[in-house]
Amino acid sequence: MKEVDTTQVYPQDPNKTYGLMELVRGTKPTVGPAPEDMVYSWPHLLIRELVIFLTVAACLLVAAFLFNAPLEELANPNHPPNPAKAPWYFLGLQELVSYSAFVGGVVVPGLLVVALILVPYIDRKKVGVGIWFARERWLANGTFLAFLILMCILIIVGMYFRGPNWGFVVPWE
Amino acid sequence: MAPDKSTEKKSAGMEFFENVYRSIFRYGRIPQDGEGASYAVFNNLFLHIHPVKVSRHSLKFTYTFGLGVIATSLFLILTFTGVWLMFYYYPSATEAYGRMLDLRSSVDFGFVLRNVHKWAAEAMVFFVVLHMARVFLTGAYKPPREFNWVIGVILLLLTLGLSFTGYLLPWDQLAFWAITVGTSIAGYAPVIGEPLRQFLLGSDSVGQEALIRFYVLHVVILPGLLYVFLAVHFWRIRKDGGLSHPSENEPQDVAEKGAEL
Ligand code: HEM
Repeated sequence: MKEVDTTQVYPQDPNKTYGLMELVRGTKPTVGPAPEDMVYSWPHLLIRELVIFLTVAACLLVAAFLFNAPLEELANPNHPPNPAKAPWYFLGLQELVSYSAFVGGVVVPGLLVVALILVPYIDRKKVGVGIWFARERWLANGTFLAFLILMCILIIVGMYFRGPNWGFVVPWE
Repeated sequence: MAPDKSTEKKSAGMEFFENVYRSIFRYGRIPQDGEGASYAVFNNLFLHIHPVKVSRHSLKFTYTFGLGVIATSLFLILTFTGVWLMFYYYPSATEAYGRMLDLRSSVDFGFVLRNVHKWAAEAMVFFVVLHMARVFLTGAYKPPREFNWVIGVILLLLTLGLSFTGYLLPWDQLAFWAITVGTSIAGYAPVIGEPLRQFLLGSDSVGQEALIRFYVLHVVILPGLLYVFLAVHFWRIRKDGGLSHPSENEPQDVAEKGAEL
């Protein structure tokens, strides 16, 4: 007769009123962490959310008293500032546009959005999930970080190193 | 529910309040046990977007750094201060700028209101990008979360759109020329570029028509869409089995590692 394996996968907690019925393979909810690794959302998660919300609100209030939002003169269509700059998060694009309007303004942002959407359909192998900077993911993480850093550099150049007619200036002169 | 001795002695007034309280929160005060904790979550409209239980891993601050929750908090605060600002703001090229000056001088704490809205808006762009980086660098977009990542990209684009449309509303030099530059970029696209630019502006250049279009996009259409997609985003987190967890990694990978040892 075949031996039946009766060892428990997860050790039984005597206070538990339910038991482990079966193991299934799949990616459906709660197949993953063992029941002992789970805690109630109330209070564990909700308290954390509340603390984060209140911290954010407090920081904003302090910032609001310390720093005034910019307000320049009334809009005047006849007096363009030189240079006219887009909001900071678009300065990277404006910088690219200064090299080529079509490539910088249309091709690059379009490709970036398409690439972002395609990421999870290209890179599907389930390795390094749930781990920061997993070693197996060095190529993916490295590529992503390279793009992020490049964007930051372009934004900083657009913010501080561009003067009249989008010419190069140094901010400390 | 069986009344205990203490409720028998209660005055009529106390009983009234007790009844009202119970009609709202059916399962008593702060729940102490597992059953109460479960009821507390799934009997409350606002809490039931949460699962009853979450993994310890997902609560570790150094896993998510709370970035998604920070972005959500900022958006709630932006909605609140934004609606409040609507009481004072007037989307007219001749009125708008004066209303901004009023917020600084004649409205009580008007400058705080505007400053909170402005800094929260800048912070939201920043934290949404950081949240995206967290999701990427922890491999959290892999199956079954591919589609939630796509929803995320839509949320990012909506966030940028909200920030951009809001930028025009003060109707100062900064606003006017930033939007002139920004919309001219749209005009560089072949064929559809120029019609798209004109559609956004409602005219050849930035003026009253552009202001009203940006205003409607900013206060109704884009926030409405963002709430819808945010609801889908949160719903998907639950349907995908909570946050990503290292135990999801391929078992043969673990087996291989074991064999190597
Ligand atoms: C308005 C913007 C957004 C808000 C308010 C938001 C909110 C959240 C929240 C609260 C979570 C729970 C986990 C956490 O706090 O990190 C989450 C998870 C997630 N978000 Fe977002 N998100 C936004 C944008 C994005 C973007 C831009 C992406 C990616 C392109 C994204 C992809 C994801 C994914 C894949 C998860 C699941 C992560 C996991 O399972 O570990 N989200 N989001």
